[in-house]
Amino acid sequence: MIPPFEYKIPNTIEETCDLLWKAKGKAKIIAGGTDLVIGLRNGDQAPSVIIDITRIEQLRKIEEKNSTLSIGATVTHSEIASSPSVRKYGKVLSDAASEIGSPQIRNVGTIGGNIVNASPAADTLPPLMVLNAMGRVISKEEERQVPLAQLFKGPYQTQLKPHELLVQISFQKLHPEVKSSFVRLARRDAMAIARMNVAVVFQVEQSRIKDIRIAVGSVTPTPQRMSGAETFLEGEKLEEKLLKKASLKVSETMIRQSGIRPSTSYKQPVVEALFIRAMKKALEE
Amino acid sequence: MNMRQVGIEIPKVDVLEKALGEAKYGADLPCQEPLHLKVLRSPTSHAKIVRMQMEKALRVSGVERIFTAKDIPGKNLVGTIVKDQPILASDRVRYIGDAVALIAARTEEAAEEAAQKVVVVYEDLPSIIHPEEALHPHAPLIHEKGNLLLEFHVIKGDVQKGFKEAEVVVEETYTTTWVDHAYLEPDAGISYLDEKGRITIVCPTQNVHYDQKEVASVLSLPLDQVRIIQCSTGGGFGGRLDVTIQCLLALAAFHLKQPVRIVYSREEVFQVTSKRHPLTIRYKSGAKKDGKLIAIEVDILGDTGAYASYGGTVAIRSAVHATGPYQVPNVKVRSRMAYTNNSWSGAMRGFGVPQMAFAHESQMDLLAQALKMDPIEIRLKNCLRVGSETATGQTLTASVGIGETLKKVKEWRDKLSLLKDDSKKPFIKKGVGIGSMWYGIGNTGIANPSTAQMEIDPDGEIRLFTGVADIGQGSDTVLLQIASEAIGVSLDEIRLIRADTAVTTDAGATSASRQTYISGNAILDAIKNLKHSAIQEASQLLNIDENDLFFENGKVKSRTCLTTSIPLREIAKRCAKILKGEGSFDPETTKLDPQTGQGVPYATYAFATHLAEVEVDTESGKVSVNRVIASHDVGKAIHPQNVIGQIMGGVAMGTGFALMEEYVPGEKTSFVNYLIPTSKDVPEVIPIVVEDKEPTGPFGAKGVGEPALIPSAPAILNAIAEAIGQRIYDLPANLERVLGAVQKRKLA
Ligand SMILES: Cc1cc2nc3c(=O)[nH]c(=O)nc-3n(C[C@H](O)[C@H](O)[C@H](O)COP(=O)(O)OP(=O)(O)OC[C@H]3O[C@@H](n4cnc5c(N)ncnc54)[C@H](O)[C@@H]3O)c2cc1C
Repeated sequence: MIPPFEYKIPNTIEETCDLLWKAKGKAKIIAGGTDLVIGLRNGDQAPSVIIDITRIEQLRKIEEKNSTLSIGATVTHSEIASSPSVRKYGKVLSDAASEIGSPQIRNVGTIGGNIVNASPAADTLPPLMVLNAMGRVISKEEERQVPLAQLFKGPYQTQLKPHELLVQISFQKLHPEVKSSFVRLARRDAMAIARMNVAVVFQVEQSRIKDIRIAVGSVTPTPQRMSGAETFLEGEKLEEKLLKKASLKVSETMIRQSGIRPSTSYKQPVVEALFIRAMKKALEE
Repeated sequence: MNMRQVGIEIPKVDVLEKALGEAKYGADLPCQEPLHLKVLRSPTSHAKIVRMQMEKALRVSGVERIFTAKDIPGKNLVGTIVKDQPILASDRVRYIGDAVALIAARTEEAAEEAAQKVVVVYEDLPSIIHPEEALHPHAPLIHEKGNLLLEFHVIKGDVQKGFKEAEVVVEETYTTTWVDHAYLEPDAGISYLDEKGRITIVCPTQNVHYDQKEVASVLSLPLDQVRIIQCSTGGGFGGRLDVTIQCLLALAAFHLKQPVRIVYSREEVFQVTSKRHPLTIRYKSGAKKDGKLIAIEVDILGDTGAYASYGGTVAIRSAVHATGPYQVPNVKVRSRMAYTNNSWSGAMRGFGVPQMAFAHESQMDLLAQALKMDPIEIRLKNCLRVGSETATGQTLTASVGIGETLKKVKEWRDKLSLLKDDSKKPFIKKGVGIGSMWYGIGNTGIANPSTAQMEIDPDGEIRLFTGVADIGQGSDTVLLQIASEAIGVSLDEIRLIRADTAVTTDAGATSASRQTYISGNAILDAIKNLKHSAIQEASQLLNIDENDLFFENGKVKSRTCLTTSIPLREIAKRCAKILKGEGSFDPETTKLDPQTGQGVPYATYAFATHLAEVEVDTESGKVSVNRVIASHDVGKAIHPQNVIGQIMGGVAMGTGFALMEEYVPGEKTSFVNYLIPTSKDVPEVIPIVVEDKEPTGPFGAKGVGEPALIPSAPAILNAIAEAIGQRIYDLPANLERVLGAVQKRKLA
């Protein structure tokens, strides 16, 4: 049984910050509720106030400003998947959004919720990490910009303080010649959390790899950039053999972060294969 | 015969109310100010109950009463055959989820709060997790009579001699795991005293008359003081053959004398309702060079969990079906079912046959491979036909359509364009696999009668009474079709009264794919008797000799005078009484010999063959089933759409059984972590209906409910084996197992 709570529906960011401040850590924000309600139901969460942020217009926008693209925290996965500007300037993200859950989940689940819930398997996180996305966080005390990669402390844990609100995510628009892709594996074809998800972004100049960014989700406590593999590939000539070697760097990082577990014998070859697949897919697109 | 009602496309009779959301399922039932019930359950898998303290819980505002085993006036044990499962545990719990107390409160919240405040002190006992462990001589006992629920053998010919003559022998061990029925709605219902003071329970169920007996026994009441009414039921698949909420509701209503209501959560359904039996099957097959099977030796060990439920039934049925739909002269099968402290296993679509089909169909492909034969050819060579003798010594005399289902599938396969692997995706391997099955209709070698009544009252209303529970599979429609065809009036002229113990008689369970065949026949018998009494009455009314009268299209007619005819309704009206026909049917079977399993377990069998086309991602182990060609001998499709619906659903369930469904007691809690296929995971299905008429069936019909599921997983597993060149022996073929097999193949 879900314990009783107050339900607040603020219309502005300021109001929200006030409510959060007054609640002294006893409030929970609700956006789509697709993670929170499960937590309420199984008793993991028992807030005395729930603050619904879906009526705040400012949080619902996708905006282009010069070379950046910003996405409001309550923009839904469906909106991201179908947004022409995200598809143009951050296809790796719109591709990921289009594969989340099911139409019902994508219609209500938000990018802000996906980030703050901080699941190791969250599908938008590897893309956001390869996009070097920044989060804008506001509270009664301050307003700050955080590189998204620094937001995560551990599985389902972020650096956000209980009275802080994530308002927006922004990243530098990708140039048309930039290659990118998202690859995902799950136990079934819909409504299943990712067993693994990989995002890559890179450029090819005179058949050499440039500005490569690789992020893998679901295999480490928080989604990770694979810096070992990135450094290894940077400036190298794109060849099958090289990719194979780089894939070993990816699995090495995974094992270093998560240790050897019963599932490692499965995950190791698969993460290597999916990384190579993501690279090839990026080249084809 | 030119039929008007049978074999035609008509909407199911319940389709509108369901499409419009008007049908009342358990949680929708109207009930005036009920008390809400909540069950307190054991958190541990095996323990003694040292003491229980209720004081704090009773002090929760709104709590009316807390029941324990002491409050049960009758027998505190239920079970379909062996009664060993308590309604509320008295001194001991045997699995995580055993009920220990039942709370009745004015609100659900209060009931839940009280449940948390009951203190139960347990003293842990050693738990048994594996059935092999359970059968060790010194294993701790889960039930006093021992940990072996049942051992059953099927012995025919001489297997030793058979294997000596065999030119190729394959032997492997197969395992399967727990599967949840995943029916649509969590169990929910209400109980109250009806106008006659009877304890009345309205709930989803597959068998109202069985529920009635259990409730009467628990409350120590005469049968007629208990009334069970089935509400709209979103599937059962065997999970609603055992009592779920019935006795809990009844116990509370009995003591409190006011309406009560219970609604399980999905988590509760996962934890406390039955599961498919995990079986370990050691299977040795021998064949001659030409592919003819000469001997099989099979050892089956099953896990019934904490309670018997249908464990015995599954042990026997899996042994009887061990050969698959093939003639084998020498057979030795041992089948054992053991108790453990796992979740209890029970009936689930197929009663062990889906597990056995996985084993025997893998064996057939292994033999074909060893003999370099085509998988369909080897099956055609061995399949049962009219005149064949089964492993239990039964000679099949008619309606053996397995060969035809194989031929239909072969036509398809031969048309399939050669499977070319995609050069762009070299890691995707494609494969095609075949799975066949046979399935005995009705209970195994025991009586399983059904009864029915058909009547016409002087006002002209025509009524059909049946105890059959329609759980969504469509028996209401099919039984009405059979009745309207036989009596010669249109379907909407007949009022159906069903599945209420106060007004209908025992039709047995909606299980074992039996209701079309057995209850369909009971209805035909009722109509035969109704016609007879109509002729008798007409003879008096018309003053014509009975022998000159006959029945046709809803009328009694004279053979000699072509203009003399009197409609049924007219007869009832003119003689001013209800014309009634009582009917019953019990298929002709014999008891199986306790030592050798020989006998006639079923009057008829259904047969089927599936072909599955799969793609295996050899880098991740992900399998996609692209298409299943499903060919079924159903005798006669009374309602073709229903038959196709069963086939579609069966393939979906079979896909889950093959690839992802895997219940783990204490770990899998709900649909969050127990995965079943979604619409994106189920293959395209091409159903093929073969009608090899069963002479004893109503209009030739047999059954299709369980057969629909059985061949899918074997076909999918055989297709995976073909795709990757390595076989998987354990279900489900999840990501890890498939990748493991790919790696094994690489090493080889
Ligand atoms: C059936 C099902 C399938 C799913 N499939 C997938 C999948 O395939 N891939 C995937 O990645 N996820 C999946 N999810 C998880 C979930 O849908 C996503 O994580 C979704 O993006 C969460 O967004 P929401 O708006 O619903 O979050 P909510 O549930 O509303 O919130 C989640 C958490 O974030 C906090 N929060 C939300 N917004 C803010 C904000 N702006 N500032 C600060 N805190 C905030 C909330 O307090 C809460 O703790 C699935 C969930 C379900 C139920």
